[in-house]
Amino acid sequence: MFDIFFVQQLVNGLSVGFIYALMAIGFTLIFGVLNVVNFAHGEVYMIGAYAGWLSITIFAPPLFVVILVALAIGALAGFGLERIAFKPFRRFRDEASLKSKAMREATLLSSLAISIIVRELAEKIFGSNMQTIPQDYLLLTPIQIGPLSFASGQFLIFGLSIVMLGGLQWLLKRTQVGLSIRAVANNPMGATYVGINTERTIIATFVIGSTLGAAAGLVVGLYQGAIFPAMGFAPGIKAFVAMVMGGLSSIGGAVVCAIILGVAESVTTSFFAQGWGDLVAYVFLVMTLIFFPTGLFGGGRDRV
Amino acid sequence: MRRSLSILVIFIAIFVVLPGILAVVGGGYWFRVTTTIGVFAILTMSANLVSGTTGLMTLGHAGFYGIGAYTAALLATGLHWPFYLTLPVAGAVTACFGILLALPTMRLIGIYFAVATLGLGEIIHLTLLNWVGFTRGPMGISAIPGIALDGLFAASDMGNYYAVAITAALTAFVLGRLAHSYYGNALRAVREDDQCAASMGLNVVRLKIQSFAFACFFAGVAGALWAHTTGYISPGDFRFSESILILAMIVVGGLGSLPGAIVGAVILLGLPEVLRPIGDYRMIVVGAVMFLSILFLPRGLLGETSVLSLMRRQFGLAWDNAKQLGWRQ
Repeated sequence: MFDIFFVQQLVNGLSVGFIYALMAIGFTLIFGVLNVVNFAHGEVYMIGAYAGWLSITIFAPPLFVVILVALAIGALAGFGLERIAFKPFRRFRDEASLKSKAMREATLLSSLAISIIVRELAEKIFGSNMQTIPQDYLLLTPIQIGPLSFASGQFLIFGLSIVMLGGLQWLLKRTQVGLSIRAVANNPMGATYVGINTERTIIATFVIGSTLGAAAGLVVGLYQGAIFPAMGFAPGIKAFVAMVMGGLSSIGGAVVCAIILGVAESVTTSFFAQGWGDLVAYVFLVMTLIFFPTGLFGGGRDRV
Repeated sequence: MRRSLSILVIFIAIFVVLPGILAVVGGGYWFRVTTTIGVFAILTMSANLVSGTTGLMTLGHAGFYGIGAYTAALLATGLHWPFYLTLPVAGAVTACFGILLALPTMRLIGIYFAVATLGLGEIIHLTLLNWVGFTRGPMGISAIPGIALDGLFAASDMGNYYAVAITAALTAFVLGRLAHSYYGNALRAVREDDQCAASMGLNVVRLKIQSFAFACFFAGVAGALWAHTTGYISPGDFRFSESILILAMIVVGGLGSLPGAIVGAVILLGLPEVLRPIGDYRMIVVGAVMFLSILFLPRGLLGETSVLSLMRRQFGLAWDNAKQLGWRQ
């Protein structure tokens, strides 16, 4: 059973898992700070991919410039998203309404509405068919290591993900911004009382989360070469599942669960037809909610 | 008196005026649009019972709608059952599935329940898509017999319209009686604070399961109607985006308000048709309408509290008009 093919699938699953992880972190950061689900995260991923594609087709710069451009556009998208879809619904600042159901559902639906608008606009501007990355930029150069063969894109995925995850850890644990993000996530009122600029922290959270999401989109665009307006939906849902499995506000948990999810999916597709692979994520989701309602790595939430 | 008058006005509007206009305009296309709105009105009203009145956000309603549609389609094409049998059977099967699938998720609240129903909806969609031997997968089921009775009437646009209109009116009646009664008050109590409701002696889990089962029943009936009126169904009709559309309709109309659910369905399905001249921009307009209505009318077009008293005044079968409060037994 542990033949080369199987190991190959494991590696493929890992690279998919890292993509999900990059997206899941954005979800988790935003959920931790605002206690809301950002349904437009998949669109940020799409925007990242399109930013990369546009910069390649217009300027044809070296690869790292493409990455920087996509990250910058992603950060900008996150900023705009927060201003449009989330800011107007923070009219009430007390803790009760920050945690209240009505507020949470309002932002859930407003981000959903924004995601519809953005997706349709992209479809209007770029057309709904797939855009392909020029051959020179496609990271599909095969690299042979022993009996295993990798695409160079997989190395980019691993490299970029690890750099970004490490950078995120550093940011959250070692910098002023990270400290304020963690403070607001822990207790928004308390953070305001000790003089933390909550508004700026929330923007920072969205910018960081969206940068990671855009990075995921760009890498997938470069690796799979298929960029279309609805591309963010499936990975967005998977990342969401990973976040729930990880316990909603635990970043480490979300990353581990995203990787588990990616590996499980690609192993499943090696035994069953492609279509059933997508089912894995949802079965995991329902199983987790039934047997570990607080998530596999969730903290001690009293009610779910 | 007032009650029978309002009911009469609505009946004339639905069963005489609207089909009359449609027949005069003579558009098979507009019949199609109206029946779609009717089917979605049933879906929205049923989802509103769970999401609005009981306060359990459901993101998987399209999945249950799909179960109903496939049950009716398979019964009608495989066993040649007529529509008057497939409709209730599809509803019952969907309700059974709903109870089975929802039992383990009933102790979840808030966002966790929403996520669990999202997962259930997607599982149903993927099963319909991939179980090719049973559901014919992405090819869908075609040549589903229409709404017809041998010797009485043949399948026609008008027949479809009346079938959908009568079912929608029955759904509105049943769900209205449920939501505007003591039972509805109990459901609202569960929504506001389930622990408090439990301490007052309400069986919270049973109420949640019951409301979910009712919602699934009507979603299944709506699916059966969809299958019979279109004659062709495929898993693409029952995706997550449909669940979101249903949710958007409820929110635009007003969470927890039954007339609001119908208004939401009319607006979000009617708007793209009215905006057809501007073509590709219509989905953007739908998104914008959804966004603006959340921003400026967070309670929806017809907010729950005002609609509750209106409904009780106009249709309240157990509401004492003389005293304006309290219930006649």
